[in-house]
This record gives sequence, structure tokens and C-alpha cells, in this order.
Amino acid sequence: MISDNAKKQIDSWIAKYPQGKQSSAVMEALKVVQAENNNQLNHDLIQAVADYLDMPGIAAAEVATFYENYNHKPVGKHIIRFCHNISCMLTGADDLISHLETKLGVKTGEVTKDGLISVKKVECLGACVGAPMFQIGDQYYENLTTDKVDEIVDGLK
Amino acid sequence: MIVEIEIDGKLINANTGEMVIAVTDREGISVPRFCYHKKLSISASCRMCLVDVEGAPKPQPACSTPVAEGMKIHTQNEKAIASQKAVMEFLLINHPLDCPICDQGGECELQDVAIEYGSDVSRFSEGKRIVAPSDIGPLIQTDMTRCIHCTRCVRFGSEIAGIMEMGATGRGEELKIEPFLAEGITSELSGNMIDVCPVGALTSKPFRYELRSWQMSSVENIARHDLVGSNLYAQTYKGNVKRVVSGDNDAVNETWISDRDRFSYEGLTHENRLLFPQIKVEGQWKEVEWDVALDFAIKGLNNNILNSRNLAKLGGLASNTATIEELHLMQKLLREMGCENIDHRLNVKDLNNTMHLKSTIKLIELESVDHALVIGANLRLEQPMINHRLRKAQLSGANITTLNVKDFDFNYKVDSHITSPNEIANTLAGVLKTLIDKTKQEFPEYLSDVIPSEHSVTLANNLLEANNSVLILGEHLINNAQASSISNLTAEIAKLTNSSTLNLTATANSLGAQQVNFMPNSQGMNANEMLDADMRAFILLDIYPEYDFHHSAAALNALSSDDVFVISLNSFGSELVSQYSDVMLPMAAMFETSGTHMNINGKAQSFRASVGAPGEAKPAWKILKVLADLLELPSFHYENSTQVMSEVAHQSIQTHEYDASIDLSKQTVTLETIWMHSPYQSDVLLRHAKSLNASQIGQMNTASMSVTTAQSLSLNNKDTYLGVPVEIDSIMADQCVFVNSNQATNAGGSQ
Repeated sequence: MISDNAKKQIDSWIAKYPQGKQSSAVMEALKVVQAENNNQLNHDLIQAVADYLDMPGIAAAEVATFYENYNHKPVGKHIIRFCHNISCMLTGADDLISHLETKLGVKTGEVTKDGLISVKKVECLGACVGAPMFQIGDQYYENLTTDKVDEIVDGLK
Repeated sequence: MIVEIEIDGKLINANTGEMVIAVTDREGISVPRFCYHKKLSISASCRMCLVDVEGAPKPQPACSTPVAEGMKIHTQNEKAIASQKAVMEFLLINHPLDCPICDQGGECELQDVAIEYGSDVSRFSEGKRIVAPSDIGPLIQTDMTRCIHCTRCVRFGSEIAGIMEMGATGRGEELKIEPFLAEGITSELSGNMIDVCPVGALTSKPFRYELRSWQMSSVENIARHDLVGSNLYAQTYKGNVKRVVSGDNDAVNETWISDRDRFSYEGLTHENRLLFPQIKVEGQWKEVEWDVALDFAIKGLNNNILNSRNLAKLGGLASNTATIEELHLMQKLLREMGCENIDHRLNVKDLNNTMHLKSTIKLIELESVDHALVIGANLRLEQPMINHRLRKAQLSGANITTLNVKDFDFNYKVDSHITSPNEIANTLAGVLKTLIDKTKQEFPEYLSDVIPSEHSVTLANNLLEANNSVLILGEHLINNAQASSISNLTAEIAKLTNSSTLNLTATANSLGAQQVNFMPNSQGMNANEMLDADMRAFILLDIYPEYDFHHSAAALNALSSDDVFVISLNSFGSELVSQYSDVMLPMAAMFETSGTHMNINGKAQSFRASVGAPGEAKPAWKILKVLADLLELPSFHYENSTQVMSEVAHQSIQTHEYDASIDLSKQTVTLETIWMHSPYQSDVLLRHAKSLNASQIGQMNTASMSVTTAQSLSLNNKDTYLGVPVEIDSIMADQCVFVNSNQATNAGGSQ
């Protein structure tokens, strides 16, 4: 289930924690495994990670379902993680999300037909100072407006 | 250290480190709570127990606030009540208003607290959260829309049951309590989740939509399925047991009971119950009145035994699940007639070779051992409550070593030594030799040829390093060719290492049977000898040969012979019993009779009948008393079972001479079959409990063997062995087959 390459990466994370505390590496391990599986996790992969780290499957599932950076449904090449927590909501995130949904012809949680973009509502990303904001890959885009959203999305390839 | 604190103006002494809620509970001060449970870790997630602590800016949760000298706490002032009411309002936002159709209604902690702290009008007008139900097995019903996320079931799984099966997935409003695996919940202690759930999210599936809690009366009783004797309450309605919940007894079962003890009651109303006395006339069964059946029984005894004074040809066999009173009366009846052929050890192949190791450790002390050596036991399934104690010891640092044929699934870390049944005596002899070697004393003769293996040296060193160790002998050894040597070697090792011992081979009420001397003296025959002695009559107490005897075919043969007269007292009807019996007397089952059970610590626990027996069935002690009266035996003047028990208490226990020799040269077999019934098939009531047998543990049916053994028997994964599907196990000892089956042994059984 887990490739040798992924195991090597997970092992390097396990090594950072005290012996016997290998389950502390669960977040990184899930990330590594997800990256090798079209950016998506499933029941068997979560169980495989749990087995590899010698922890109960449900404990790994708790982590995998708690954080927004794990995907349990097919996702596009680019994932727009739109914050809709308090600061962003107060500065108009909901309107921007509707705008984005109309523009792309998908609802949040779905993927565009060409498989390029998916939109996800996420909780606070810690960038309230630049609200409303979203994240694509490792990049934060702040102080968004409809024009700015259009420009960024049109630039995605 | 003791500190003085003030709660609601009352000065109270408390221990440092104690949480406020533990003190209020002890003092009888009521503080509402959902997530707090005295036997589980503190999660402080529900916030229902907020109290006002003077000097603290905000109200504090009583469950996670440790007491300190001079602390002033208010549980009922305006601030405390206002916070509790606010929390209640939040908890009720997503809780459905379905109390009228909820099984928890009437015994629901949320309902109780809502009456005190809830508002009668909700300010929340948005849509409520709905969680789709999931099927987690035949024992627990889920309605997760009602869940308030206290996580007691999750903590119970990871902390007590030892397998984390439930978990909290998602977050915020999406948070759900659910199992990860498709099989649902498989723990042998799973039913306790029903007891700990404060709302109607987890309820008993067999009890679904049956009754309201206030319609039933709760009667204390003792579980007799294993040698722990867990305390429980049978909840009854109109003469039926409708549900079983756990009782509190820290010395026995704390506050938990196994699923086996919780759901066995379902068997009581099974259609197979024997309801009326029956006699066999010219090969035909006839339902008759009690007096006719008893007269028939006496006439049969007279014809076959008493008229010819041929008492050597009469035998009495009893199931080890019987009560002390039943066993006492039965042996007294037989002995007063002049018969010494009495036995309860039906599943032992060689009764000259029995394990008679004494148990020298209390259940509660098992928690504090620092080392345990478990030999021949799959503790989780066979003795769940003992396994629970040992698990606690392991979690606090004890080193647990096992000597088993197979790498059984322990729910804690064990150091597993896979050993074939042939090798166990030698391995223990090696341990003993290593130990004696260190003391530079002389070896006894039988150790002269023993060369300690690496295993043995490790085991010996483990024992020497420990300060407080226990040696545990399990049921897999009962029919080992060297059983008595194993038992004696264990006693020697315990002596040298100052270890305690625990003998789990005396299952159910076997210790009770020993107490009333339900075994033959030197003139009598044991169970195996009786089956081989061309007997003329038997009195049998709740015996089902296809399950109870180690070799059922031989037993059936002996009982079915034409000129043997068989009086059977049974709680359930069975095809085989009606084949060989001449008269069948219906007896009360567990929950239906008063009596006494003796647990592994020799603790005799008496219980009253929770319900009456169905049909014409009577408690077996009464049947035996009347039989004795009809046989004109004196001194059977009992009015109730308590009088029987007080007679037992005043009687001296006859000591048996056991073979203390150790003989390692004894011939061992080349292929040993260890036949263990699935835990939900171990007595007749359990075998008729529907939901238990539908569960994953109840469905277990495998004959495990190593690759080498399978090759030598020319078997593969698709074949069966003695009628049981073969499972080839890569981590397993050779020269043995381990059968864990939900089938009768009459397909073959252990040879």
C-alpha cells in the first residue's frame, strides 16, 4: 500500500520523535501518502499509515478528517482553500466564494470538468490581517476582491 | 496529604491531587456532568460541571480542577448555575427532541440534567444536525444524532477495552463519533459502552424498544459463565429478564462486565427451553406431572440399582456451571445412597493427570504485579475480566510474557514465546533448572537430563528480575499429556521465585464443586472411568454431551446403551439428551435460581433468583431435595437454599491427594489438538443467546495450524479439520492444532 519511497520519507519523520512515539509522525505520514495517491486519501491508505505507525486506524482517521489539508474526494490540480472563518466571513468571503463557484461552474468540494481546479472551504488559516483570503498550494492570496479572484484563477494552468 | 476546602459553605477534608468532582461525589453534593466517569481519564470536554471557585476569574470544570488548601467552591451560586445553564443550552442545540421514542428515556443523564438546568423554550431556530446511523454489530444500537460528544465510549475503548474502535472524526459541527472499521465494534467488553453512554446514542440492541427503565425491577445477581463471578443487575419485567447491566464491586469486576455476562440472558427465553417433566415410555416421550416423573425416576433407580444394591454401577455427573447448593445436594444424595461415582470434570482427558495448582493471588492484586508469565491461555476471550486486570498491570509497566501455541491477540504489549504443547513441560523444567543453578543447590533427579533452552533462560531471568510476579496457567493445558508435571513445575518455580500463581483451568464454578467435594474418593470412579464401566444408571445435572465432554462420542456411547437408566436434569432440551435419557426433569437456569458461586479467589457469592423458571421448571436444588425425600434419605430437611449453603459452610473440605511427581519422560503426542469452544459457546445458556452468537467473536470457527503441520496433514486453507475450517497461521508452533470453534465437539472433538 505504501511505496518504499514514501516509507523512507515517513521513516525520516519518525526519527525526529523519541523512540516509541512514532505515531507523532502521523500528520506528515498522511501527507506523504496522500501526495503519492493523486493528492487524495482513502480508508485503506489511512489504515496502512496507521499500521505502519502501530496505532489504531480510527486514531489516524481522526487526524485525517480533522484537518482540511487531507482530501477524501477527488481534487483538481490546484486546490483553492478558501477561508470562511470569522474575519474572512465578516469581510465578505461568502460572496467571494459564491462568485468563484459561479465563475468555475462548480460547488465547493467539487472539481472543474477539466480537472484543473477544486474549491474547498477551510477554517482559519491565520491570515486574518489580510482577510478575505485563500490559499493555493503554498501561496497565500490576501485582501481578495472579485477582480483579484478572477485574475488569480485565470492565471492557473 | 490532606487539605481543607470549603464547598457551599461546608468545610471538607480532601486529598491533594483529587479533583473537585471526586470530593463532591463523595460528599453527596450533586454536580451535573456528562464526560466525567470515575474509571476513565478526564477529558473536561462537556463543560457541564462548571463550578465557581473563589479567586478564579471564570467558572472552573469540577472534573479537572484539583483541590488546594483553602479553596472555596460554590456549586450552587448564581455564577455556577448560570454557567451550567448556558452549557446545557449549547448541548441541547443539536440534541433531537425524540425522548418519547428513545430507549434511554427515563434513565438518561441528559434528560435528568435538562429538567434541572434546561430552558423550556429553545432560542435556537436553525436546523439541527443529523447523523446517519451506522450498524456497529448485533449488540449495540447506535442513534448518533443523539450523541453529545462526551467521548466516554472513545475513552472506554482506548483505556479499558484496550482497542480503540470508536473515534471522533471530522470537526466542529461535522464531528461524529463512529468506528473506523466496517466490522463495527468487536471488543469482548463492548457492552460497557452502553452503560457509559450518558444519552441514547449507544443503547442495547437486543433490548431495543422493549421497555422503559422504570417498568423493570433491578435484582442483584452473579454471572456464572466464568471463574470471576462478576456482579450484575438483572432487570426484570413480568417474570422475564429483559436486560442485564453491570454492578459495582472493586474486588471482583470493578464496574465493568464482559459481553458474555451482559447478553447471555437472551438464552432464557429460547424456544429450546425444557418446560415440562417428560418420561420415555416404550421409546416415546410423554409430558407428565412432576410426581409421575419423579416416581418414574425412582422406579428406574430401584430396578437398575437399588433393588440389587448395585451402587457401584450408579454414576452422578454435573456441569461445572451448577451452583454450590446444587452440587452439594447432588453429592449428598449420591453418597447417602452409598454411591461414590461423582464427578464434574467432564472435559479432562486424563483425570490422573490434572492440574491442581492453587491460586494464590487476589484479582485486585493482579493489577500491581510487575511480571506475569501466562502459559496456555488466550486471556482476552477466555477470561476477559482477568485480562483487564493484567492489562492494567502492563500499562503501569509490568512485563508480561506468554508461552502459547499461537500469537494470540492481546490488547497490550506481551513478550510472546511460541511453544508447542509438547515443549511446555520441558521449557518450564529448563526454567526450574536455571533457577536452581543460580542458587547452587542440587538438582532433583528429574532435571538431570534437562538442558535449558534459550527460552527457558530468558523466562528464568525475567522471573528473577521481578519483585512481584505471577504465574498463570490457562485452559489450553487441561488436556496436555504432561498437565500434572506442568502444574507441579509451576508450583516449584513459584516457590523458588516467590511468585504468586493463578490457575484458570478450574472454570466456571469448579472451585465450588471442589469445595463440596463433587469428586470421587478413592473407592469411586471419575467421569472417564464411569463412561467406560458399563454403568446401569446415571443422574446428570445440566449436561449436554456434544459440548461438555472432551470426547463426546465415547460419552454418548456409554449413556445410550440400552440397559442404562438415565435421569437428566436439564435447563434446555437437546436432541442428544432425549436420545439417551429415560426421564428429563426441567430445571431453572442462571437468573432463575438462588444459589452460590465460588470465584477464583475462593470468594463465595450468593444470589437470589431474579425471575421464576418458565413452564414447570424448578430450581435444581429443590428437585434434588424431593428426589432425596422420595428415596427416603434422612437429613434433607431444607426449606430454602440458604440452609443448604450454611450446611456447606459448616462442613470440612475433604482434601484430595494429588500426584506431586514430575515425570518429563512421559510420552507426548505427535499432534495435539487443543479444542476451545468459542467464548459464547462455553455453557448452555450462552449457546442459546442469539445476539452474542451473531457477533464476530460468536462466529469464530477456525482450526489454526502451522504451515508444517498443515503439510503433514495434507491440508490447506480450503479444507476442514474435525469439521472446522483450517486457517494456516505463519506464527504458530508445530505439532499442534488450535481449534476455536462455535460448533459441538461431536464432529470429532479432541481425540
